Amino acid sequence: MDIKLKIIFICTFILITSCKHKEDDYHNITDKIEDLSKDFKGVPISSDKYTETLKKVEVTENWQRFYIPERKSQIKSFECSECHSKPLYELQGEENIEKSHWDISLKHANLATMDCVTCHSENNMDELHSITGKRIDFNLSHKLCAQCHQNQFKDWSGGAHGKQIGGWAQPRVSQTCVGCHDPHKPGFEKRWPARYNVHMVDERK
Amino acid sequence: MKVLINLIKDSLVYLTHGRRSYHFWMAFLTFLMLIGMYSYSLQLEHGLSVTGMNDRVSWGLYISNFTFLVGIAAAAVMLVLPAYVLKDFDFKQAVLIGEGLAVAALFMCLAFIIADMGGPARLWHMIPGIGVFNFPNSMLTWDVLALNGYLFINISIPLYILIMRYQGKTPNPKIYIPGVMISVFWAVSIHLVTAFLYQGLQARPFWNNALLGPRFLASAFTAGPALIILVLAMIRKFTDFKIEDKTIQKIALVVTVAAQINLIMLISELFKEFYAPTHHSESAYYLFFGLHGKAKLVPWIWTAISMNVLATVILFFHKLRNNFTVLYFACTLLFIGIWIEKGFGLIVPGFIPGPWGKIAEYFPTLTEVGVTIGIWAMGAFIFSILARTGIAIELGKLKYKK
Amino acid sequence: MNKGIKKWFSLNLGNKKQSNCGCSGSNCDGEVSGNKKDGISQVFDVDMNRRQAFKKITAGLMIGAGAVSTSCSVVSGDESKEKSQIEWEEYFKGNYKLMTDEEKDKTVNRLVRSYELRLGEKINISSKNAIDDVLFGYAFNISKCQGYMDCVNACVKENNQDRASEMQYIRIHEMNDGKGLNFGEADDSYYHEVPAQGHFYMGTQCFHCDNPPCVEVCPVQATWKEKDGIVVIDYDWCIGCRYCMAACPYDGRRFNWSTPQIPEQEVNKDQHYLGNRLRKKGVMEKCTFCIQRSRKGQNPACVEACPTGSRIFGNLLDPDSEVRWVLANKKVFRLKEDLGTEPKFWYFMD
Repeated sequence: MDIKLKIIFICTFILITSCKHKEDDYHNITDKIEDLSKDFKGVPISSDKYTETLKKVEVTENWQRFYIPERKSQIKSFECSECHSKPLYELQGEENIEKSHWDISLKHANLATMDCVTCHSENNMDELHSITGKRIDFNLSHKLCAQCHQNQFKDWSGGAHGKQIGGWAQPRVSQTCVGCHDPHKPGFEKRWPARYNVHMVDERK
Repeated sequence: MKVLINLIKDSLVYLTHGRRSYHFWMAFLTFLMLIGMYSYSLQLEHGLSVTGMNDRVSWGLYISNFTFLVGIAAAAVMLVLPAYVLKDFDFKQAVLIGEGLAVAALFMCLAFIIADMGGPARLWHMIPGIGVFNFPNSMLTWDVLALNGYLFINISIPLYILIMRYQGKTPNPKIYIPGVMISVFWAVSIHLVTAFLYQGLQARPFWNNALLGPRFLASAFTAGPALIILVLAMIRKFTDFKIEDKTIQKIALVVTVAAQINLIMLISELFKEFYAPTHHSESAYYLFFGLHGKAKLVPWIWTAISMNVLATVILFFHKLRNNFTVLYFACTLLFIGIWIEKGFGLIVPGFIPGPWGKIAEYFPTLTEVGVTIGIWAMGAFIFSILARTGIAIELGKLKYKK
Repeated sequence: MNKGIKKWFSLNLGNKKQSNCGCSGSNCDGEVSGNKKDGISQVFDVDMNRRQAFKKITAGLMIGAGAVSTSCSVVSGDESKEKSQIEWEEYFKGNYKLMTDEEKDKTVNRLVRSYELRLGEKINISSKNAIDDVLFGYAFNISKCQGYMDCVNACVKENNQDRASEMQYIRIHEMNDGKGLNFGEADDSYYHEVPAQGHFYMGTQCFHCDNPPCVEVCPVQATWKEKDGIVVIDYDWCIGCRYCMAACPYDGRRFNWSTPQIPEQEVNKDQHYLGNRLRKKGVMEKCTFCIQRSRKGQNPACVEACPTGSRIFGNLLDPDSEVRWVLANKKVFRLKEDLGTEPKFWYFMD
């Protein structure tokens, strides 16, 4: 009887001590995130070291404040007014003028919606304009795209569309629309995948 | 201590002498073990890529054999229960054989685990104190404790009994009965813990059901005693050890009942998988009927099931069960059938299809088979040694001379 | 009896002629008796039984091994002694999770030195700990993924995986429109122009669960969840039992079935102990959210490489991060949520 009692005691002890305990008491991850971010004061890492050499512009869209890379200094032939010294219709009449931009084909929307002057101001090639004719700076060209592409713009301002430059840490530096999409031909072409896993195919034969 | 040394010396001399058939048997086993060692050296050199396992089916022949042998080890000791608790003395003869079988099976289990490890040199990482032992979270650690504890009990209790007999004294029941009682309960738990290893994985719906543990126990108590019957038959033939018909008949009864329970559990599983098939039944479909044209395991499982059904039906009839030739045939069928079922019918289909539904089939390579054969030979070798020594002591052939 | 014992236990080199075989039923030590043979026959025609042969072969092997090891230590200089010293210390070190910062630095230095001694190249292994107030999360836009697999390439380049078995942490599945998230009928080894008509694409990898089943089952705690939420593996502690692989519902883990082969010029030398340092055969590995990059504030290689911007990574505890914005404003879901693993990898659509 003594032995049996000892055995029962040992078994009970093992059972009790082996009850699984969770590290934290959160029911799911969203509860945990909510609780742990209550007194979030920032992290000691910043994206600055990866974006130091990049020229940035600060923007505030949809109550989100972030940086975008400066655009004007990256356009090869900016300022446009160096060639476009006169209004367009005057330039078109002149003889002996060199043809530029012959390689730009507009493959964006149909002709009823868009042509060159939808975005570019004839009389001031250094700036763009909105549907209502308000001036839009080349550095803030996303305001132009936002007119038609509302959903993408909303997502982009939150960080859900497009690429981030400089890593995940604050301050956020988002790539602009034109950083990925050529405004004259914004769609991505079809292509072949970057690799083919022969080993995996063999494994499944 | 002196007694132990003498026992070892005497048994070594005794073991190296015997009939020609004995030497032939041991030489054959040694040859198989050398094959196993060579195959294992290949595996150590090149890594586990010499086996047929891959990222989809990451456990194969080794773990299948391990699972099966844990069952054998568990069942071997279940025979101890009637002998000591029910005071059925017919069983007493079977006890030492059973415990010897359990020890051999356990050594095989440990060998299979070591063979399956990717880094066997780092196994010391599991030792509590100098390594990290993830108890109680990991079921593997429970299994390690259970198996090693069981091995310790199964070595120490028979060793005590044998040393006493060797000296011509009677073993003291007060010492070995508690050990025997513990080993009986422990036997059930080792197989349950091994079952829980698989049962607890929510990622593998083929295993994640409530019936896995009981199914393991039922098939273990079928295959284990079946093997014991076959072993007792051989002992009757080759040694002077007297084993009564009654003993074998009683063990046969255990096998019959366990086989019937095993069949009922199989029917229950089949019903669950095929009455209202869900996404989780895909593994069962692959196993029994093939999936998307892949059907490597289908012949295996149907062979196993037919063997099991045939044997269960045979054993159902008293006349057939008491005819020892038929009995041995049925036991062989059961042993092989359950080996297939536990290995190819349980471990491998648990991994197919993979987590994203991809099917990569598995079949063992020659190296894997080589290591497996080597380890089975090692188990048979160990058992032959233990059985021969044990029987010699029981028959009084080996006596301690002061 | 005593003579019998002595016969079996003493190393009989076949010199003495046994006239009286006292053994029963077993082979006597076979000896050449009677006929005289010439030198060559004397060596090659000696009757041997298996036991004798085994003894002689073992003796030969032991002598040979001893000779080799002695010659090595005589010829070897300080370099190989240092190599052995490093290997010895590395074998007996403990679990990385339990190391102090000092011990972590020591092991990292040993690994860097060992690589230098073996290959003559300098690498950089970091043992940077988790940053406070950071919990990494990931969001994947299945409307944007076009199946390019640029992420897979970047991951392999960044993380030093085995080239021979084409080990890839990321899988891109080509799913069928209208069939929903039916992975069984999806194809992850396609090779045609993408995006293909009638299909959409989604990627899977280790989801760094918050309740990871792989961590639960590891018998030696070689894998654990770090404070910043990344589930990591200590490659030197892993014993290769592959229990974690059986436990992962998302096919997140990869095993090194053989020694990983990476061409020397493709080795990424910016490494982290828990991340992309070079592994050995018989250990588990997996996506670590590019721990060597993310702990420095960079995005993982897959996020960086994706040309369509489908992958979003960030700090879940920062209310201003992009990934938090996605969770708050997009309709997100996770895979196999009913399993209770709480993965930190969300999917959403435009």
